[in-house]
Amino acid sequence: MAEHIIGTLDEFPEGSHRVVRVRNIEIGIFNIHGTLYALPNVCTHQFGPLCEGTVNGTTACNAETGWRIAWVRNGEIVTCPWHGVEFDILSGRCLAQPRIRLRQYPVTVADGQVRLNL
Amino acid sequence: MTTGQAGKGLGDMLIVDADVHVNDLPQALAPYAAMPWRLSLETLGRSPQRYLDIPGFAPNLKLDPPIPGGHELRSVHSAHQMRAELSALSIDIGILFPDNLLQIALLPNIQYAAELARAYNRWLAEQWLQSGEAGLYGAILASPQDPEDAAREITRYAQEPRVAGVYLPCAGVHPLWGHHKYDPIFAAAQEANLPVLLHSVTVISPQFPYQLDQFENHFGRQMLSHSFSMMANFVSLMHTGVPARFPKLKFCFTEAGIGWVPYMLWRADRYHAEYRRLVPFLERRPSEYARECMWFATQPIEESDKPQDVAAIINLIGDERIVFASDWPHHDFDHPKAIANLPVSPEARCRIMADNALRLFDRIPRPPGKLA
Repeated sequence: MAEHIIGTLDEFPEGSHRVVRVRNIEIGIFNIHGTLYALPNVCTHQFGPLCEGTVNGTTACNAETGWRIAWVRNGEIVTCPWHGVEFDILSGRCLAQPRIRLRQYPVTVADGQVRLNL
Repeated sequence: MTTGQAGKGLGDMLIVDADVHVNDLPQALAPYAAMPWRLSLETLGRSPQRYLDIPGFAPNLKLDPPIPGGHELRSVHSAHQMRAELSALSIDIGILFPDNLLQIALLPNIQYAAELARAYNRWLAEQWLQSGEAGLYGAILASPQDPEDAAREITRYAQEPRVAGVYLPCAGVHPLWGHHKYDPIFAAAQEANLPVLLHSVTVISPQFPYQLDQFENHFGRQMLSHSFSMMANFVSLMHTGVPARFPKLKFCFTEAGIGWVPYMLWRADRYHAEYRRLVPFLERRPSEYARECMWFATQPIEESDKPQDVAAIINLIGDERIVFASDWPHHDFDHPKAIANLPVSPEARCRIMADNALRLFDRIPRPPGKLA
């Protein structure tokens, strides 16, 4: 595992997400509520560019919502632009199939620099 | 009736049959119906009747010219006859469905349809389930025209020991069974711990699957009627989250064979991945719900030249989801041997022929030995 500097923190403001390339690997960097998350830019479904999709909330409907469709997880869900498969950025889990979980790369900030371990 | 050398070769295997039919003539139901509908049934009883085609009771649109020959039309008129014929087929336990009232969903008169369902249920209980004949269990008819009344009927018969399920008529039903208007039926069935049993029949109606009239003969209509109905109702139930909203409810899909099931499960999973946000009540893949709460009846079993193809379909679905059904005495019934001879393991064979059904219909006690 090697550490790679991928930019300065002000290049990844809160609420933003963008794809960086490290050693020919594309990785989506997400700043969610002030915390950075790094996920592979490859959808588990058909290998689409997952992290280029929109970041938004999603819907939930269960006993807790009174079986009404509710808006939840605002700003924490990325949707693959190819087929709409949703992933929880915080856990890497696929919402439709929670057993599927994306690899989560360790990302840290030191001296204003964003460092990715892979 | 000819059952032939039916049971031979099946040994002492316990056989539970998820779908057999009783002949429910209007004059038989008339004494069980309230006024004025009793008069309607008595009038229909005096009218000329064609097989599964009684206007005002089982309205159909028969389009094929009669061609002499062909195989016999069979009906079962009494519990005693049913017991004898099932025994000749080596079938120990049968779940009774109607003949004519397979088409009850086509009737537009709501009060009349609800009364027909009530009369049928009383007649079924008194004449068939309380007949003293062994191994006969029934499905309470839930009129889709009046879901609240259907729910009351389910509750009324919830403690009846020979009632094993709730029959959901599918031919001509509109809207399909996933609609929220039917929630009272699902709530009552879940509360009564009775599985809901979806059953269609070939009819021409303005409801899904409509336009069957464009097929020039019954061959074409028959191929699509049951299978489209089961697929559409499977999708309907999933797309409003009935299995999620009624998590203890059990479902059985009948008379469409099983070949459609892997296709629908895969297709549902694929589109769930894409459109999950439209159906957020499905918190797992549709196939996962299906493999927990849905069973699929074998008849009419697919007849590949290679029986291992059919075994492969069973394995794709999971043999624990498959229940044997004969559809006796109808024209395309399956003999138990058609299923029991498939190349599956002995354990899977026992599951398909009896064990799975006894889990689906879990109020039916396992007989100590063969009844047939």
